Amino acid sequence: MRLILQHLKRYKLLVALNIVSVFGFALVELGIPTIVSEMIDEGVMKGDSAYLIQMGLRIALISVVGVMGTILLGYCCARISTSVTRDIRQKVFEKVQSFSHSEMNQFGVASLITRTNNDAFQIMMFLNVILRTALMTPVMIVVSFTLTIRASLDLSLVILSTVPLIILGVVIVGKVSAPISERQQSSLDNINRMFRENLTGVRVIRSFNNTEYESERFDEENVNFMKQSKGLFKLMSSTEPVFFWVMNVSALIIYFIASRMIDTGDLQIGKLVAFMEYLFHAMFSVLLFCTVFMMYPRASVSAKRIMEVLNTEPSIPGTDSFEDKEKQTIKEAGKDKAKDSETHAEKASGEEKVKSLVFDHVTFTYPDGEEAVLKDVCFEAKAGETVAFIGSTGSGKSTLIQLIPRFYDVTEGHVFIDGVDVRQMQVEKLRDKIGYVPQKANLFSGTIAENIRFGKEDASMEEVVHAAKVAQAYDFIMEKPKQFEEPVAEGAGNLSGGQKQRLSIARALVRKPSIYIYDDSFSALDFKTDARLRACLKKEVTDEIVLIVAQRVSTIMDADKIVVLDEGRVAAVGTHRQLLSSCQIYHEIAASQLSEEELQYE
Amino acid sequence: MNKKAGAKECIKEIMVFVKPYKVKLFAAIAMVLLSTAIYSINPSIEGAITTQLAKDAGEIMAQTEGAHVHFDIVFRIIAILAICYTVRAAAILLTAFFLTDAIQNTMHDLRAALQKKIQRLPVRYFDSRPVGDVLSCVTNDVDTLSNALQQTLTRVISGVLTFLLALTMMFRINGWMALVSLCIIPLTVLITKLFVGRSQRLFRLQQKTLGELNGTITELYSGFQEVLLYNKQKDAVKKFGDVNDRMADSAFKAQFVSSLISPCISLVTYLTIGTVAVMGCFFVISGAIQVGQLQAFIRYIWQINDPLSQVSQLSAQIQSAFAAMGRIVTLLQEEEEESEGTVSLKDRKIEGRVSFEHVQFGYDDELLMKDVNVEVKSGQMVAIVGPTGAGKTTLMNLLMRFYDVKGGAIKIDGIDIRDMNRQELHSLFSLVLQDTWLFSGTIYDNIRYGRLTARKDEVIGAAKMANVHHYIRTLSHGYDSMINEAANNISQGEKQLLTIARAILKDPQILILDEATSSVDTRLEKMLQDAMQKVMKGRTSFVIAHRLSTIRDADLILVVENGDIVEQGTHEELLAKRGVYEKLYHSQFARNVIEE
Repeated sequence: MRLILQHLKRYKLLVALNIVSVFGFALVELGIPTIVSEMIDEGVMKGDSAYLIQMGLRIALISVVGVMGTILLGYCCARISTSVTRDIRQKVFEKVQSFSHSEMNQFGVASLITRTNNDAFQIMMFLNVILRTALMTPVMIVVSFTLTIRASLDLSLVILSTVPLIILGVVIVGKVSAPISERQQSSLDNINRMFRENLTGVRVIRSFNNTEYESERFDEENVNFMKQSKGLFKLMSSTEPVFFWVMNVSALIIYFIASRMIDTGDLQIGKLVAFMEYLFHAMFSVLLFCTVFMMYPRASVSAKRIMEVLNTEPSIPGTDSFEDKEKQTIKEAGKDKAKDSETHAEKASGEEKVKSLVFDHVTFTYPDGEEAVLKDVCFEAKAGETVAFIGSTGSGKSTLIQLIPRFYDVTEGHVFIDGVDVRQMQVEKLRDKIGYVPQKANLFSGTIAENIRFGKEDASMEEVVHAAKVAQAYDFIMEKPKQFEEPVAEGAGNLSGGQKQRLSIARALVRKPSIYIYDDSFSALDFKTDARLRACLKKEVTDEIVLIVAQRVSTIMDADKIVVLDEGRVAAVGTHRQLLSSCQIYHEIAASQLSEEELQYE
Repeated sequence: MNKKAGAKECIKEIMVFVKPYKVKLFAAIAMVLLSTAIYSINPSIEGAITTQLAKDAGEIMAQTEGAHVHFDIVFRIIAILAICYTVRAAAILLTAFFLTDAIQNTMHDLRAALQKKIQRLPVRYFDSRPVGDVLSCVTNDVDTLSNALQQTLTRVISGVLTFLLALTMMFRINGWMALVSLCIIPLTVLITKLFVGRSQRLFRLQQKTLGELNGTITELYSGFQEVLLYNKQKDAVKKFGDVNDRMADSAFKAQFVSSLISPCISLVTYLTIGTVAVMGCFFVISGAIQVGQLQAFIRYIWQINDPLSQVSQLSAQIQSAFAAMGRIVTLLQEEEEESEGTVSLKDRKIEGRVSFEHVQFGYDDELLMKDVNVEVKSGQMVAIVGPTGAGKTTLMNLLMRFYDVKGGAIKIDGIDIRDMNRQELHSLFSLVLQDTWLFSGTIYDNIRYGRLTARKDEVIGAAKMANVHHYIRTLSHGYDSMINEAANNISQGEKQLLTIARAILKDPQILILDEATSSVDTRLEKMLQDAMQKVMKGRTSFVIAHRLSTIRDADLILVVENGDIVEQGTHEELLAKRGVYEKLYHSQFARNVIEE
């Protein structure tokens, strides 16, 4: 709720207009019965036809005014709800852009997508109900009560007594339905999940002949969902007849009392007619208010999920500098006044080649992890060197290189680039120096050329072609009907895994960074392409730092330095040849991949 | 979904699902009729009170001798009304209960039928269309249908009925006034037509923009690592802001235009009420009708207004329900794969001899395999090698009959696999795919998936054999640890080990490993290979792998290129051939390539 109010602030004028226009609606809905009752009391009883026609015109007049109000209401409502939703979406998106890996993993990409889109949409629906219906209810109640009291004080007391009854009912329904609605929602999620599993695992399920089991598993949830839905729908559709019944009974009581009052001459018949109309409309608006309660649980879950995102502080603050750039620099300037000269030096070195990268007693524990993934890791890489990392799953290879572009920050120790701790550097500048090729290549919709230019926006066509050639992507690009202008589909479904990897390598190459990081980036390539690519890279990359994480020994055996990791510790450092003889772990790995001759050949 | 089922077909198909619950459904409809009928009579009865009171009041005002309210009449009417109201409330309640039961049961059956259908469709069906499309059909479309039935069915029935009854009652009260009120209908139709066309266009635009928005979000979120690395956050925000603005704009237009319909129709209603009120008053003065009848008449106009102003909303809902129904029915009518075989394997001991005889195959009209002949003896290990995208998985697709050969035959122990029962064929194989598939459930359940009848010690035994037992024990809940939806709480390597354990548990005659060990680290792989060696003993196995060390021991190597088997033989034989395999083998070392 706070979330909505916060964002409504920007649209105060529209909200005010919205409230005013609600009165327009109340005007007709209640004005017409009033006039009709006057017509009956004054016109009919006295047979005054001029008066009747005058009143008829008055109805026409307020109809037009009222409808204008309703149209205005529709305008304000649509404007406010869509604008607020847009603002919320934008905020969430910007927030997510400031996230680093740990926050991304905490939420999960799929969940963030739903939060940005579907949850915001839920808020919009809710806002629509609030602005249209919920605002109308109090207005209608207040106006119609004033009118009923004016018509007859005693009769309005009857109505007054039913109001708490109905409000109570609404609250109870809201309270009871919320948990059912939540259960139904989560059951629906489960059903969707199972369908997805059934679709993605088609081959596996069939190969195990487990279709029966799948159907049973599914039916369990299916029955559960049916039960929840039945409960929810039954409850929801019961409210209306019950409330109507209460309304109707109170109408009967009013008739009863009214007949006595007429008997004593305290009430005019036209007033009674009007009174019944007011009652009808006031009650009806209370009934509409129920929809608010029906939608509230869903909307509040959505709002909660959005707030979770908005309230998450990015663990690596430099990343959101595009948002609060000023704040950030002021803060940093204040903190690092003494280091002024250093920042200048750093600025200058941004253009220059990095000369060294040092891991100095680095220990790292994941934010939610208990045990350190990296323990006391030390090594150095100088310009022009290729350093490779090898080790078993969970040995921390990938984690290690993720510390360099500050996807995570070290827990202890330092990562120095040219003697400066990466945590002291501006994240953008740091990342500009790095060409990182992740294990799983992500491309964006757009042309192939645009995807390569993602690395460097102003790259010339020559640079793009060159990078593609080095990355061994040129040949397959030229085979495409539109070559470099070939569109990459969403999710890059029109490219194979190997082709994606090569484009992602080209994207890093075109940047001409000082530090290349390949995180198992050759895994989807066949040996032939892998070998040719590495040969070309060797020619291309001469005085930069290259870091390679690999599973295949053949990929890294030419490296200047191979770091063997074992359970987060550096087990050994050396060249292929040195390690073969000195490191047991390395020997085991190599032996499992290379033939006897090859081992001896070395 | 190329051809779409027509409306008639849809209803026929859906009726099959409704049938078991038709008693409840008819009961619900009967209750709707009852409640609507009472609803239409109510204003007249209420009007009767007013009339009686007005008459009495008139007499009182005229100071007639002994004039008083005729309480006996009034009370009688009130009693009748009380009965009417109560019956109506009860009828609506019963409608809700019967209808909900009928619809939700139908939806349950429909979902179950769709789930079973998915199990029976050929794999080809899923390969040829995005998972999202099928998923949206079985989830969103069923939801849409359920909601539409739940909400619109009664409203349509009661709306039509209310309309007719109210109209009848109006004519009974006064023909002239009813005729004037009839003007509402053509005007409403006109207004609805005018706006609906426009708003539908806008809604389509909104839907399109929504798709774009979704695409942009998905892409930028899944590629967040790249966005971070290349410092593209600002561009991303701009790109998103652009789509977001357009989204807000199109949503606003669609909402606003569609929100115009209701006030415009209301205006017509208001004006009609005004006219009728004036006319009515004159009629009352002339004595043609009574005051209560005027009151009732105005109520009836409101009653007509209600279904009319909902026409556009309802028609949109009905349309989308029919569209959803069309997709569901189309899916249900898709051709299934037949699973009956002519040869039973029940009493046979299958040894696992596999032969490809003059096999021809291609995914579309073009033949990739033109004439493949392979002979695998029982217990042999066959390695399949080739560059990426060469079609190594095709062999698996053919062996498991996920696809059928276009010519020739594949035989196991001399029996054409097309003559076998599909289930029996599948029971011969264990499959370990590169794309590990685990379902959300416990680790124990996931391993047991290999053989549902397995005992606990057998499950643990399989885990031990796959070298994953130790890892499982280190988890906080051991074998009861849950694998979540994206299975991202365990690493790729461990997932593969679990799928291997699952395959081991099945104890098949033939093993297919599809690059299964590529993400397992090398040291673990060695241990795993030892385990595999044990498993493979006495079994025919097909290993699709990049790792040449694995295939050096193979009894037979099949070299695949462009979807065809171009060479076959043992490691030494193939090297001697100096063909595709030799090149592939030597390219393991970069310097060899450079030398060439």
